[in-house]
Amino acid sequence: MPRVVRSTVIAAPVETLWSILRDFNGHDQWHPAVAESAIERGLPSDRVGCVRRFRLADGSELRERLLTLSDADMAFSYCLLDTPIPLLNYVAHVRLAPVTDSDEAFWHWESRFDTPKGREAELARLVGDEIYSGGFNAIRAHLAERAR
Amino acid sequence: MARVYISSVIDAPVARVWERVRDFNGLPRWLPLVRESRIENGEPSDRVGCVRDFRLQNGDRLREQLLALSDYDYFCTYSILESPMPLTAYVATLRLTPITDGDRTFAEWTAEFDCAEELAEALMTNIGQNVFQAGFTALKRQMVA
Repeated sequence: MPRVVRSTVIAAPVETLWSILRDFNGHDQWHPAVAESAIERGLPSDRVGCVRRFRLADGSELRERLLTLSDADMAFSYCLLDTPIPLLNYVAHVRLAPVTDSDEAFWHWESRFDTPKGREAELARLVGDEIYSGGFNAIRAHLAERAR
Repeated sequence: MARVYISSVIDAPVARVWERVRDFNGLPRWLPLVRESRIENGEPSDRVGCVRDFRLQNGDRLREQLLALSDYDYFCTYSILESPMPLTAYVATLRLTPITDGDRTFAEWTAEFDCAEELAEALMTNIGQNVFQAGFTALKRQMVA
């Protein structure tokens, strides 16, 4: 079962970063892989158990369920329900923490999943580089855009 | 219950920082405040339950017990058994997490304790700045060297 971990430091107060990331329905606003996002059955996006439906930039769709949302720990977890990519039993965790001596934010993003045999490295790289590291860079650009 | 939280980014791989801080008897090697340390009863310093008896530069003496140590998750939890500080039920955790972006280290140091309400702020500042932040600042300097 591959485990993917990516972490970084974002030059913004952790509260600013959390206000963006905690919206389970807002990832289409900043992540380049996501073209459109909607929460099924009109549920609020901070209701644990809600399901988001993404249309990806390539037109395919995926669905993910919010498993945990913690304002106290600035963390959330979610799993994949339906996906065009063979990521099975995929559960991901996002956690933020303040860097108290520089007023920046530490961002940790990790997941575990099963894949068809032989595709572990390829899919781990896709998730880690395209989704997680790509997300880090997209947030940096998003924050720079907002600051203008 | 008072709580202290200090965190920092250290520009060195987590394994290198962990090597420095995992030795429960090693405070004099990196924490400027500490002059000398020994483990009671000649026990190894990575034996959970062992007690370190150490002296600060100003002569103060503390005894602390190792409650948890993880080479997998890079953390160490300990409690104060004896100290000149007017507090009780002190438990602290020093935790390292890799920052994959740049192969650096995110370091977090937390403590919780009970004390008289009017003393809480001074104790939190003292522990947070003079011990935890001073330790991280020293590590940053040592890791570059």
